[in-house]
Amino acid sequence: MAQIELNGQQLEVQDNQMLIQVADAAGVYIPRFCYHEKLSVSANCRMCLVEVEGAPKPLPACATPVTDGMKVKTRSAIARDAQQGTMEFLLINHPLDCPICDQGGECPLQDQAVSYGKDNSRYHEEKRAVSSPDIGPLVATAMTRCIHCTRCVRFGEELAGIMEMGAAGRGDHTSIGTYLGETIESELSGNMIDLCPVGALTSKPSRFSARSWELLSHNSIAPHDCLGSNLKVQTLRNKVIRVLSSENERINECWLSDRDRFSFEAISGNDRLMTPMVREQGRWRSVDWHGALEFAVEGLRRVIAKQGAESIGALISASSTLEEAYLCQKLIRGLGSHNVDHRLQQQDFRDDQLDQPPPGLGRSIASLESVKAALLVGSNIRKEQPLLGLRLRKAVLGGAEVASISALDYAFNFSLRFNQMDAPSAMPKKLAEVAAAVAKAKGVAVPEPVEQLLDSNGISGEADEIAEMLLKGGQDGAVILGFGALSHPRAATLKMLAHWISELTGASFGLLDRGNSAGATLAGSLPLHQQSESNPAGLNAKEMVREKLAGYLLFGVEPELDSLEQSAAQEAMVKADFVISINPYSSAGREYADVILPSAAFTETSGTHLNCEHQLQSFEGAVEPPGDARPGWKILRVMANMLDIDGFDFISSEEVLEEVKAGDRGTTGAQLPDWELIAGDKPRVIQDQRLESVNEISPYRLDSTLRRAESLQITRDNQLSKVSMSSPEMERLGIEENRAVVISGIGGRVSLPIISDQRVPAGCIHIPLATEEGQVLGGSSFVTLEID
Amino acid sequence: MLSSESLAKIDLEIGNYPAEHKEAAVMAALRIVQEEQGWLSGETIRDIATYLEIPPIRAYEVATFYSMYELEETGRHRIEVCTNISCMLRGSDGVVSHIEERLGIKVGETTADGRYTLREVECLGACVGAPMMQVGNGYYEKLTTESIDAILDGLE
Amino acid sequence: MNKIKHLLQTFLLLELVKGLALTGRYFFKPKFTIQYPEERTPMSPRFRGLHAQRRYSNGEERCIACKLCEAACPALAITIDVTEREDGSRRTERYDIDLFKCIYCGFCEEACPVDAIVLTEVCEYHFEERGTNVITKTELLALGEKHKTRIDLNQKADAPYR
Repeated sequence: MAQIELNGQQLEVQDNQMLIQVADAAGVYIPRFCYHEKLSVSANCRMCLVEVEGAPKPLPACATPVTDGMKVKTRSAIARDAQQGTMEFLLINHPLDCPICDQGGECPLQDQAVSYGKDNSRYHEEKRAVSSPDIGPLVATAMTRCIHCTRCVRFGEELAGIMEMGAAGRGDHTSIGTYLGETIESELSGNMIDLCPVGALTSKPSRFSARSWELLSHNSIAPHDCLGSNLKVQTLRNKVIRVLSSENERINECWLSDRDRFSFEAISGNDRLMTPMVREQGRWRSVDWHGALEFAVEGLRRVIAKQGAESIGALISASSTLEEAYLCQKLIRGLGSHNVDHRLQQQDFRDDQLDQPPPGLGRSIASLESVKAALLVGSNIRKEQPLLGLRLRKAVLGGAEVASISALDYAFNFSLRFNQMDAPSAMPKKLAEVAAAVAKAKGVAVPEPVEQLLDSNGISGEADEIAEMLLKGGQDGAVILGFGALSHPRAATLKMLAHWISELTGASFGLLDRGNSAGATLAGSLPLHQQSESNPAGLNAKEMVREKLAGYLLFGVEPELDSLEQSAAQEAMVKADFVISINPYSSAGREYADVILPSAAFTETSGTHLNCEHQLQSFEGAVEPPGDARPGWKILRVMANMLDIDGFDFISSEEVLEEVKAGDRGTTGAQLPDWELIAGDKPRVIQDQRLESVNEISPYRLDSTLRRAESLQITRDNQLSKVSMSSPEMERLGIEENRAVVISGIGGRVSLPIISDQRVPAGCIHIPLATEEGQVLGGSSFVTLEID
Repeated sequence: MLSSESLAKIDLEIGNYPAEHKEAAVMAALRIVQEEQGWLSGETIRDIATYLEIPPIRAYEVATFYSMYELEETGRHRIEVCTNISCMLRGSDGVVSHIEERLGIKVGETTADGRYTLREVECLGACVGAPMMQVGNGYYEKLTTESIDAILDGLE
Repeated sequence: MNKIKHLLQTFLLLELVKGLALTGRYFFKPKFTIQYPEERTPMSPRFRGLHAQRRYSNGEERCIACKLCEAACPALAITIDVTEREDGSRRTERYDIDLFKCIYCGFCEEACPVDAIVLTEVCEYHFEERGTNVITKTELLALGEKHKTRIDLNQKADAPYR
């Protein structure tokens, strides 16, 4: 502890703190540009100069550690002079274009020039001008405004983990930019906009659309990943203008992924459905709500009368709110069907009957920063849950070791100690090796089905080392399964092995599913919810699209894109007698639906998100839905009323939440792991003739909202969603880059260009899901190429 | 692409630093490659960065910070005349104008045949022999019109 | 004595003559009555009448959509929508002034960093239909064009005091 005097105030402070931290804690504001509590200290803006008694010159508060007996004055004549001088220098080359600058009105430079600067300028010479490169579709640049605080540079280097911005040149020729004007590809690039203290980096999608003072700010929760990042949705005249992060140390700190920041574009975009639409004799007609709901209810009744309730199924988007998912499954169950699911891209449901908590991280989000060892199974944590990736990166920088077992060589922003990248069919074997190695070290017997997964070579040396790493990590270890594991043809095997490993080592068991999957699971939007004699299990998502039901209720999904087996889903929808699509977008479901009901998007409805830490976060709508669109829960409630289903008398989404909380999820009594379920698994058989397909979904095509966010669609990350193979493999097969090749998969034959991608293992082909290209191939385990 | 000779030299430099700090050799690497190729193109800098396992922008920061890394193609001979105070007092203006006249280019330009680039530089620490200039790595001091002509004639 | 004085004044109608003299004096002086609307009084260059938007001499509109006038307006009479024009410059997509709401305080003109919005000398105008009280960007620019000479003169006259 040290005793210091700050502006005459006596303070007892911790050692090793910087003056600016102490001052902030004491509520004394010191002006700053380059200092940011989450970034390293660079002390290059010189704005935080303060007078320290005994020091010959004013000292930068951000880089001066407190010492006992220090006497600091932040507003003395010397400090004020120094600050004014710094400000004068900063303003020399700063353009006076505040009226057209998007930062105007919320600009630290503007504010501090008023508070800490001189009242007029003595500079009459020419100002510097710097060219502004186009660094991608998300961040707009105006580098003449840059004051070289290097916050963006340090963010990329220290947090995002890829240094994309840099300071070239020196002196007054310094300019911040990317390498030769390349575009930035960080999945966190939007944070640079927040960090930039001037208008040099601004948001491109929100460019020139409003001024900060006229925006209304509403708190909300991001729906696109399992974090539930806290948002500030800012609106002007009932239109979402931009989305910022709302600080929450437990969840997203002060950051936000680009996905959550820029997805609002779809909501404020042109593809919104304004009125309910019904299709009669093949023609779309807009009708009023009553007409549309009557039409929907009648259609459902017709299907039930003809083919029974079991011929109706509901597919629910994982980005829906908890309330929507709950009401949707309640409605379907009220009709007498149990066909309801939100796991559209899962293909292995063998472990459905086991009692499992909603998917989650298995530990607190913040504690991921302090893990010592982590095993990622098919998880591209950096792109799938960017802010969890950030936490794991911090852990790695702090000495944690990470192993990855995956079917794609993901570009992580931290270094892997072990990278076990191989074809998807080899993943169970690799994981089984680790499990067996852990069991061996612990002296536990290896169950027969696990034994069977191993080949004659037994346990590899690397598997032994991974096991050792996890055992050393103990409680501070984490096993995390991602999309690559969940969408794997042997997902249950992977889940069980990973769970067993975590049990044996004491590590946390994490299953990171997309969006609000945890919420949907809690809400019971699963075919096995509350299973009993009178409540038999329904069909899961895969069966629903394969079995071609007579009626579908689609809540926020476009099955032809959202399903794993895209072609089967497309066919099922077209063949169905009656399809109700509830979604916010005008172009969704046009091809096959019979009635489309316009629902509110996530900023327009109240609801609840259950995150991977199993925190329930409720939010309110920020804007009114456009046109006649209504919140999803209201649509479902009225529809259920019209269908005469009991228990739909909710007058607010809070009441729905109360019912979910009070409800009983029911148990089957069976627990993980149940080795019987995976007893049939065999080690992989290499098929020479065919290529194994690796499914991946672009982080920006996860749901119908993201697919309509124009700027995200043209990012470099999204450009990777093409059919691709590794270049040695292409050479081996004699395929030229970008040349069309006939590929046949589960949904038929298609001619597509193939690009090279170093991430794809040998003998495999990468199929992007939720794309037009994936339509024919999605869901195939193997594909065949026809090369002349 | 970097030549194997350059890579060998860079490896030697990398050896001077702890194994986990390969990036410490960035300045030397840039110099070695510039000596070989005459200048540093964007691609070259990227290759160097890749070899040193650093982001390209990191190498680019270093390359742009120092004025002696050439980021644009120059003439075969870089003639750099000191115009700092000592040389100026001893008539560097005359030296500059004489070379300009003889080569038909202005300061900062390259002759059409790509042989010479003329530049002004600040003090090179050879005030005792003012006026002076540097051609490539060689210093030429106490310049007169005749000696300049002789030097330029001597360059191929 | 006073009584005599009073008597004389009464009988000689002196007060009346005095009064008539004053009337007579003004009767022969030049008149200051103005025959409005044929004749007009002089106006201050700062007169705050109908709004107009100005252009630069090269024809480019001045307004950069900074929205400061909208923020300064105490009557919330101005509504602006901003957009990025094809050339990348920041421009208004909509610039509406509700003349019923406007209190002609001139704050918008004060706030404008590029002297785009001005209040002209035009003080006689009317609306015949509901809705026409909201004047749009096109109308404002047309007004600026129409009264260009006067606006420029007034701006020049007021410039030294800004």
